[in-house]
Formats: sequence, structure tokens, C-alpha cells
Amino acid sequence: MIEKGNANSGAPPVVLVANRGEIAVRIIAAARRIGASPVLAASTADADSPAARLADRVIVIGPASAAQSYLRPELIATAALQAGASVVHPGYGFLSEQPELAELLEIENIAFAGPRPETLRAVGDKSSARKVAVAAGVPVAPAVEVDDVEAVAGLGDSIGYPLLIKAVFGGGGRGIRLVNDAGDLARLAPQAAAEALAAFGNGALYLERFYPAARHVEVQVFGDGEGRAQIFGDRDCSVQRRHQKLIEECPAPGLSAATRAVMHDASRALVQALAYRGAGTVEFLVDTQSEAVVFLEVNARIQVEHPVTEEAYGIDLVAAQLRLALGGDPELPDVPPVPSATVLELRINAEDPENDFRPSPGTISRVRWPSGPGIRVDTQLEDGYRFPPFYDSLMAKLIVRAHSRNAAVAAARSAAATVEIEGVTTTLALHEFVLSHPDFIRGGVTTSWFGPTWEHRSEQRMESVR
Amino acid sequence: MTDDATPSWQHLLDLVAQLDSGSYDSASVTYGDVSVQLSRSGPLTAPAPVPSRASTTPATTSPEPSGTIIASPMIGVFYRCPSPGAPPFVELGASVGADTTIGIVEVMKMMNPVSAGVNGTLTSFLVKDHEQVEYGQALAVVAEASSQ
Repeated sequence: MIEKGNANSGAPPVVLVANRGEIAVRIIAAARRIGASPVLAASTADADSPAARLADRVIVIGPASAAQSYLRPELIATAALQAGASVVHPGYGFLSEQPELAELLEIENIAFAGPRPETLRAVGDKSSARKVAVAAGVPVAPAVEVDDVEAVAGLGDSIGYPLLIKAVFGGGGRGIRLVNDAGDLARLAPQAAAEALAAFGNGALYLERFYPAARHVEVQVFGDGEGRAQIFGDRDCSVQRRHQKLIEECPAPGLSAATRAVMHDASRALVQALAYRGAGTVEFLVDTQSEAVVFLEVNARIQVEHPVTEEAYGIDLVAAQLRLALGGDPELPDVPPVPSATVLELRINAEDPENDFRPSPGTISRVRWPSGPGIRVDTQLEDGYRFPPFYDSLMAKLIVRAHSRNAAVAAARSAAATVEIEGVTTTLALHEFVLSHPDFIRGGVTTSWFGPTWEHRSEQRMESVR
Repeated sequence: MTDDATPSWQHLLDLVAQLDSGSYDSASVTYGDVSVQLSRSGPLTAPAPVPSRASTTPATTSPEPSGTIIASPMIGVFYRCPSPGAPPFVELGASVGADTTIGIVEVMKMMNPVSAGVNGTLTSFLVKDHEQVEYGQALAVVAEASSQ
């Protein structure tokens, strides 16, 4: 094993954990697994957290505000130096996909448990990621630039309907128009061009295929940084509210072998083309009408939902990231495209689903988790924990494995029913609802399923109260 | 390490001293192939949240436990002197004003001046020159001038 960084031979390497909450607890466990010493970089709000007590040392990097602590690469790099760290694990969110941190660490000869900075840049914005994907032969949504807004019919036919008209220089969802047929397109394209010219100083447009009923399916990849790619199956993350994932499962249910192969092969090609280093996820939309697969983006980090893959295949992705970053063998096996078990993850958030998912931070007076075969809980909660208002609302992930999807759904439902969290409102109620809903039990709901379905339930409850 | 294109420590510290007397929130100066960034974090008069471990090395050893603690505005390295061998920004027992710079916390080449924040007498330093400090860690104690 190649020693990196400041580690003295003999002393265990130090892992600086540059994150908080449940993923900090998770990274500390992985550091222990590989025999390393975990040190936590924490804001003042987290200096006494359960993760802080699990670590060998805590370094306070700044005040509660993430903008003055967890989001500052120079503070994390300084903490890594103070800790004598061999490797920094950034978790997800915060600086996990920021090339600046990776670059600062490179200067200090400290490893970064993530892709190289140039990879983070290449996949960091959608247009650059799309170019990389196209070059690697990954299927993308059909799109074409418009040369003449008065002659768009041929372009529309080449892409297919429905489609979106987008401004080349637009952003933030502005100026996007949904078009259902050639008549709409001919009428709306000149308007869109005029608006784009007024809003963005340039009237250039492009057309992109729109998939109104699609599933979110993603592929877990791991690259050795030299062009070798391993694929660890797929996850369905279609139960979403406003693009926030609520429930994830491995494998994605009801995919044909051909569709699955398209995604896995494309992901492998992308990892090879980038000589991708470490754990990553390639996200796709799967159109439920045509089974067409289109590339969405690369998440160049460990993801919140990584445990479903870990449990399905019996692997430790976070330990593998650390081993690779330290110059060792990630110790990951080659696995089949479909695991023999099904695993579900329920995200339990400090939000009130009956009140428009309003955040509900506060003190957790009491918390009890289920136990039993195939049950895993990733969390930072404990009795008396003051859930801070400064960060995201994820409290825990309840992960349940069983021999079949039906068994996993039933087991997850019964496990969720025995969770006790007192003191704050949680999203547990929505899990009971989803896990007992016939659409979800059947499998393969689209990303637009949960929102209106939950709204409908809320309306019905209001009426039954009257 | 040092070549003709590289400014000396004295150049940098003159620069810092000059900028320190001006009013700015952050400044970035490129000098040959060296770039210097400074930023103020605002006066840290409010007692910043002190990390739990730092609170186990409290001012009990200090001669003026009732004094006002000056907390580090940043994680970094604390410097008492503008340059190696130079006299410190403030000597023990010196009187300080709210704006008096008592030292610098350097984080990744970024120099953050630390102001006393209160008027009084600097009675002790709780960290050594060149010591690694964390955010909120107690750096020094000032006995405040009695406001009659």
C-alpha cells in the first residue's frame, strides 16, 4: 500500500471527515473499518454532535453557517493539515463536487476521496457533461439548435413531440416552452426567440425532447482512476417531491434486460472515457412510454442513497473510496447486474408532510429504531439530540433488505411502523402511505407520481374531517 | 524558495500593515507570482461560541480570569508578530483599543488580522506564537478599561 500525505509509517492514516450529520457518522465507520483514525471537521453547531463523539478528534472550522464553515475549501484544507490527514472525505453536498477543495489538497499532498479536479469540472455543468456523454456514446435526449425560427417543422419532427423550446443562453428554467405538436412549435418558436433576445441578449434557441412520464434510474459506478470501471447495479429513485428523493430502491424494478444493459454499458463507457476515479453515479431518465433511456448527469460523489447498493451487494463503497484514495486496492468484487436481494431506503426528514413539508427542527426527546434481519439505520439521531436548523432536514435513512421486492416493501412498511421519534415532526407518515399504495407496490412509478398523489390524499383527508 | 520575483516577508507585512489601517472587507493583491488575500471577519466582540475542547483549557491559568476573551475568528495559525524576529503587534501589559491588531490568523496564505474588540489592557496570551488554532478558540485576555 502506498503511503500518502503526512502519515508516519506505523501510525494509522488520518481520515478528515469534511461533512456532518448521518454521512459523517457513515464515513467515520468506514475509516474505522480500514483501520484509519477519523477526525471530524465541524462547525460550532456540530462540535458536540454524535459524530463528533465517535471521531478521535474534532477540529472546529467555523460558525454554524455553512457558508462560513463547511462550504469553505481553505478551512477544510487547513483542518486537514492540522489533523495530519492522509485523506479528506467530503461526503455529499457541501464541497464534495467542488474542484477547489481537491486542488488545494493536491498542493498539500493530501488525498481527496473523490474524482480528480478535472473530472469534477468536466461533469460539473450540464452542457459540458452532455458533451462528455455524447463523446462516450451515452444516449442523451435528442436536441437540435434552431437556425431559422420560421422553418422549424422539420426539426420538430426529427426530435419528436412533446418537446421543449429552450434558449441557448438561458438559465434557471426561464424561457422554456412546452410544445405538443408542429402547430404549437411554428407559433411559439418566433415568440421564444424574441423573448430570449430581450432576456438574454441572444435569440438562439434549441429544441429538446421532453419526457412527461419518466422514471429516475441511476447506475452506481466505481473507477480505479486509470480507465477500469466496475458497475454495481442500478437504483430507482422516482419517488420524489420537487426533485428531492424520498425513497430509493435497488435494483430498479421492472426494467427489461435490454434497457438495463443500455444504462450499464453507457455508464461503463463514461467511466472509461473519463478514467473516472472512485465512486460515482450516472443518472438517467427512463421514458415509461417508449422505454427510451436518456442521460441526465453524473454525480461525482458518494450519494445519499448509496446504502441500498451496499446492502444489495454486500459491499462498503465508502471504505472502498478511502482505500483507493490512500493508494490501495478498493477491495470491491465484480458483481452481476441484478443483485439477488431487493433493498429499499426510506429518507426520514425533519419536515411536516401534512403542512407542505415545512421544516421542523427541534430536540429529539426519544428515538427508537427497529431491528431484525436486513434492517440498517444510518443516522446521527440519539435521545436528546438537538436537530439544528442550519442544515438540511435529513434525520435518518431506514434501509431494509429482503429476498424479493414484495418482501422488501412489506418489511420496510413494518419496520417504518415501529420507528419512534419524539419531539419533532417527521416524514414517516408519507412512507406508510407510499409503501401501502398499490401504484408503488406494483413498482415503476414516475417522478411525477408522488406530488399529485400526496396532494390528492391531503385533500381527501381534509374532506373527511369536514 | 525566495527569488527575485518573490516579495520578502517584510514587503508583505508592510502591505498588511498598510491595508490594516484602511477600511475594507477583503483585498487581493498580486505581486509578481505571489498573490496575497486579506479579509476581515468583522470585530469579534461578541464572545464567539468556544469549542468544547478549548473550554477545557480555560482562562484559569490566566492572571485575569475576569477579562474579556479574544476569540479566533478563523481556523488557522496564530501569529503574534508581523514577521519572524519583529516585535509583536502588542506586548503583554500594553493598552489596546477596540481596533488594535493583536495578531494574525493565517489560513491558506490568507492573513486575517485579529482586533482586540474592546478597550483595555492585554493581560495574557492563551496560545503561543505560530500555534494552530481553531475557530472560536480563546487567543488572549483583555482587562477592560473600567467605564466609569
